[in-house]
Amino acid sequence: MEAILGIIISAILSENFILVKFYGICPFMGVSKKIDTAVGMGMAVTFVMALASAACFAVNLLLVALNLEYMQTVAFILVIASIVQVVEMFLKKAVPALYKALGVFLPLITTNCAVLGVVLVNVQEGYNFLLSVINGAAGGLGFTVAIVLFASIRERVNKTECPECFKGFPIALIAAGLLALAFMGFSGLSIF
Amino acid sequence: MNFKKQFKEGLLTKNPVTVQLLGMCSTLAITTSLFNGIGMGLAVTIILICSNVLISALRNFIPSQIRIAAYITIIAGFVTVVDLFLQAYIPALAESLGVFIPLIVVNCIVLGRAEAFASKNSVLASAVDGLCQGIGYTVALVITCVIRELLGSGTFGGGLLNGGEGIRIIPAQFPAMQMVMPVGGFLVLGFVIAASQWLMKYLEMKSKKKEAAK
Amino acid sequence: MKTESTVKYVLRLALTLLLITAVVAVALAAVNSVTAPKIALLNAQKTQEAIEAVLPGGGEEVAFTDDTGLVATVYQGNAGYAVKVTPTGFNGTVEMMVGIDPSGNVLGISVISQSETAGLGAVSAASTSAGEAFRGQFAGMSGSVSVTKDGGAVDAITGATITSRAVCAGVNAALSCVANMG
Repeated sequence: MEAILGIIISAILSENFILVKFYGICPFMGVSKKIDTAVGMGMAVTFVMALASAACFAVNLLLVALNLEYMQTVAFILVIASIVQVVEMFLKKAVPALYKALGVFLPLITTNCAVLGVVLVNVQEGYNFLLSVINGAAGGLGFTVAIVLFASIRERVNKTECPECFKGFPIALIAAGLLALAFMGFSGLSIF
Repeated sequence: MNFKKQFKEGLLTKNPVTVQLLGMCSTLAITTSLFNGIGMGLAVTIILICSNVLISALRNFIPSQIRIAAYITIIAGFVTVVDLFLQAYIPALAESLGVFIPLIVVNCIVLGRAEAFASKNSVLASAVDGLCQGIGYTVALVITCVIRELLGSGTFGGGLLNGGEGIRIIPAQFPAMQMVMPVGGFLVLGFVIAASQWLMKYLEMKSKKKEAAK
Repeated sequence: MKTESTVKYVLRLALTLLLITAVVAVALAAVNSVTAPKIALLNAQKTQEAIEAVLPGGGEEVAFTDDTGLVATVYQGNAGYAVKVTPTGFNGTVEMMVGIDPSGNVLGISVISQSETAGLGAVSAASTSAGEAFRGQFAGMSGSVSVTKDGGAVDAITGATITSRAVCAGVNAALSCVANMG
């Protein structure tokens, strides 16, 4: 139980996937201009991360059994790409409303390093099935928290005046830096 | 063939980091010492050239519906090869870059160039494109590394020069440690991109003035 | 437009992808067969060096009992024990070797692998004067160790309290493990 709580807290706060570990910066910068889209992206990523953690755990067992550990990267990325594809098709048929909300983000998730990152971390840390899935879901929640906070900051930053050469991404990065500074305050929270 | 134009695009006007904003994860995460920056830059450059060449050579063979899956498989293959070689021959670098080597697979630079350039151009042009974009990435990475290392650890060339300790420029008690932490990554990259935007504006103005003078 | 039937078309897609994956797999297997022995050798060498760095004369692997969950392997030699421990640092696991003499004093520590922040936690493993000073202070300690912030005698690495605490946790696990072995 303590291990589970530790993983959840560290994945969301003290070892936030984006602001501390730098996984998934591309969508973090790319889809954070509006709060609604940020929420959508966060939810889609959380879902895929939990699913990918579960699937890759099984795949990894198979690879280890066959002594094919060196194929991990290739196998995982293919699994993630297929999961994203299947989720997209499933949502389109089964839950059209959700598909409409998340649809545009799904293809982007394949190249989100948070997903491949969490899977590789799971394997490195030797998490069991339950811990892997929890780490995936909590990592996704951490991603959501960061991206939603950042989107709300950015909506304001975009309305302020700043030196011309800082317009656009530079000022956004600096805002992200300040957010990361705030998250550094959580670093003492780790439960070992 | 327009090597000069491609080179300028890779280095400045279409720099993968400062303009296209691709591959931000690794740019932010590993730019804490010169050794890391150069190592990561070279690894990505090699992978970019290889994957660009192969994808360009296969561009008529791969059906477009499955191209992304095919590209990613090829890229993952090259990344694993580089990963294994680093582990075997440069273990210090493999350890220092850690999980960010396998994560080159999802570094949007590689997939982005495959989709935007290699799938439409000849093998030679794709190789040059890979080289130029790789150099642009490395330069942006090295600049960020040098600034962060100087401000954060007070040294230059950490991991490479002076027996791995780097050349101390700022006395050990003064550097702002936060600069080698995540915060510093965001801040320094923000300033680097701002500087490159300023430089591009400046060059544009200069060339306009030249034309006006004519 | 080609007039292929759907079945044939899907089959062609699947076969192309299968072919690419197969080629990649074969290529990787070839590379792996070259690099795997080299990597294994490097790792074995590193472990051996780490043992000899903390335990003069080296040692042989022995069975052990551990209640901390941090001990990976114990090696016993003439000068005492070398215990491989894996505490959790700031970014992940810190793999380290602790040398302990038969009366329960630390002979020395060395860090085998870590993924701590460069310039901060990574100092714990660096072969620099700061790194050696940090590791050197453990020699001669016994019982239970902790950083000065927690009331102990270990000077933490500047800006890397979490890494320093992890190293202390590793040393403590090793000490209690050896104490159990009597």
